[in-house]
Amino acid sequence: MNPRRFISAIAVIFLQSLVLSFPSQADQKINTTVVAKEKNVLYLFNWNNYISADTVERFEQYCNCELSQDYYSDNEEMLAKLVAGATGYDIIVPTGNAVETLIRQGALKPLDKKLLPSFKNIDPRYLNSSFDPGNKYSIPYAYTLTLLGFNQKIIQELNLPTDTWAIIFEPQYLEKIKGRVTVLDSQRELMAIALRYLGYPVNDTDEKHWKKAQELIARAKPYWAAFSNASYVKELAVGNLWVVHGYSNDIFQAALDAKNTGRKFNIIYRIPKEGAVLSLDSIVLHKDGSRPDLAYQFIEFMLDGKNSAELTNLIGSGNPNTHAIQSIRKDIIENKAIFPDQESFTRLEMLRDFNRNQRRLLGRIWTEIKLR
Amino acid sequence: MIKEKNIVRWLLSGVPLLFLLLFFIAPSLIIVFTSFRFPGEFGGLAPLIAPMGTVDVEHGLTLEAYQFFFSDTLYVRVFIKSLQVAVVTTLICLIMSYPLALLIARSKERLRNIMLLLVVLPFASNFLIRIYAWVIILDPESVLSYFINLILNLVGISPVIFLFSPFAVLLGMVYVHLPFMILPLYINLEKHDPILLDAAQDLGASHWKCFWYITWPLSISGVSSGIVLVFISALGMFAVPDILGGTGDILIGNLIKDQFISTRDWPFGAVLSIMLALTILLIIGLGAYFLRRLRKRNYAT
Repeated sequence: MNPRRFISAIAVIFLQSLVLSFPSQADQKINTTVVAKEKNVLYLFNWNNYISADTVERFEQYCNCELSQDYYSDNEEMLAKLVAGATGYDIIVPTGNAVETLIRQGALKPLDKKLLPSFKNIDPRYLNSSFDPGNKYSIPYAYTLTLLGFNQKIIQELNLPTDTWAIIFEPQYLEKIKGRVTVLDSQRELMAIALRYLGYPVNDTDEKHWKKAQELIARAKPYWAAFSNASYVKELAVGNLWVVHGYSNDIFQAALDAKNTGRKFNIIYRIPKEGAVLSLDSIVLHKDGSRPDLAYQFIEFMLDGKNSAELTNLIGSGNPNTHAIQSIRKDIIENKAIFPDQESFTRLEMLRDFNRNQRRLLGRIWTEIKLR
Repeated sequence: MIKEKNIVRWLLSGVPLLFLLLFFIAPSLIIVFTSFRFPGEFGGLAPLIAPMGTVDVEHGLTLEAYQFFFSDTLYVRVFIKSLQVAVVTTLICLIMSYPLALLIARSKERLRNIMLLLVVLPFASNFLIRIYAWVIILDPESVLSYFINLILNLVGISPVIFLFSPFAVLLGMVYVHLPFMILPLYINLEKHDPILLDAAQDLGASHWKCFWYITWPLSISGVSSGIVLVFISALGMFAVPDILGGTGDILIGNLIKDQFISTRDWPFGAVLSIMLALTILLIIGLGAYFLRRLRKRNYAT
């Protein structure tokens, strides 16, 4: 084999290995085994960018320990990794439905509230949720709303409503914004608002209602540009998208980007009158955690108003902590799509986990929707 | 002496053999096993043996996931769609790569090395980053979109949006797979003896005849390895439709990913993976069969 041909052959093998190693979520680090028991390390399994770096630094000084974080980008991914055998985490920050799943799996440790005097800081509206009655296992940390984001300038020009899901479901509105709308690439979130728009609860499991929601989605789909969970943030910020079904944190980021880059429009977000989905993320203790002492220190630290407010000021997340309110920036606290008034609050619903047959059926409906 | 040689041979091939056994055969068997289980209530798998003290907990083995797959044509339609995309991607790659590979193979050595380097250069950056770069290029506000729509406007056609469309998916697929077609073709074409073409030309064959009767038949093995590389990888792709696709661009790769992540239905995900593997084996097998027949016929004439 002459050298050049040899190099080409190597190149082909190299490229093949690249194909085989295309990145997948499963490639990320799965296992964080506690090696150095002597060292003071608290293992946190958290959402991406869900605690301020300043907070981490101050906590590490306060507890004289190290905070080690692994990240997930959705609850299903987190649950899948735990089922696949990820261990060693002291604290996880799942959304309500995932908390319920973890409780039923017996994967959590009950909390001793006596060790958490600041627990009283939490707004009672966010306590005693259906996923964990009496908050035996979970302490509310922050929340996100799934709502509508708009390019204010264009919506005003086109004279479209901003207070109803009809704008992403009804052809009479969609005709004016065809190809400039995205909805979340999430079976549960999209189904939830379709059901809500039809007047059903978001956790409805009646197959007939699912069929109706499927028809509603299928009718609107030709007008949507894409199902998008991530790229919609940037596209909204630069003005390519005009209406998005998305998360309040993400739209907060898009609004900030549009402002910082001096765009000639504002990004606004609203809770539609039909209601919206509330995702309450809570701190829970995993049963395999080896440092409950540090974990309680961490929870108590995060229940402090100032520390809790830091995250809200950073990413625009909702905050269930009444003591945090005074430390939160004025423009955020006055945003009704992040801190809803009592009337809007009553129209928020949380998602509950479906059983495996319901999941399989919904997965099928989802495939049908996408293929059509 | 002979015995010693054998030991060395076994030692040398033992490591790759063990590697294949551990990281290819064992996971495949696990997938097959998974496909016959019940999904767990919270994801994962239901237990094989009913836990102590419980009645009617789902456990053991079942054909349920296979029944679900064959219960209607929906999933077969996703397969057909993915096959279409993979075939079109492979054909476009072939048509675009052949002239380029030929050009590279017949260039002077220095130029040839530079061109080869350029073909491989994109791999210096991460695959996902290159796909995200296409998001920027195809963006409705991008320079490319602007000029194309300007021209379309002159001709009187209404503006088009490239991003989030089947076109964008196909473009991304071809872009990603192009080098996998160019390199095997080049390796093959570079081996051809130029004397054959000279002889043909001396005997009065046209350029086209030279190509059709000499270059093309000799390059069939390069063409087929390029096709195999591109086709298999294109068939299982999920990242490109995820990032560049619109509302209807679901391929088998996305479907399988959905089963493991959002639906948490491992047995059904395993069934889909097995069906994908069987489809690929069937197609490659048929391809190899026809290729062999083609070769036999060529020798006969």
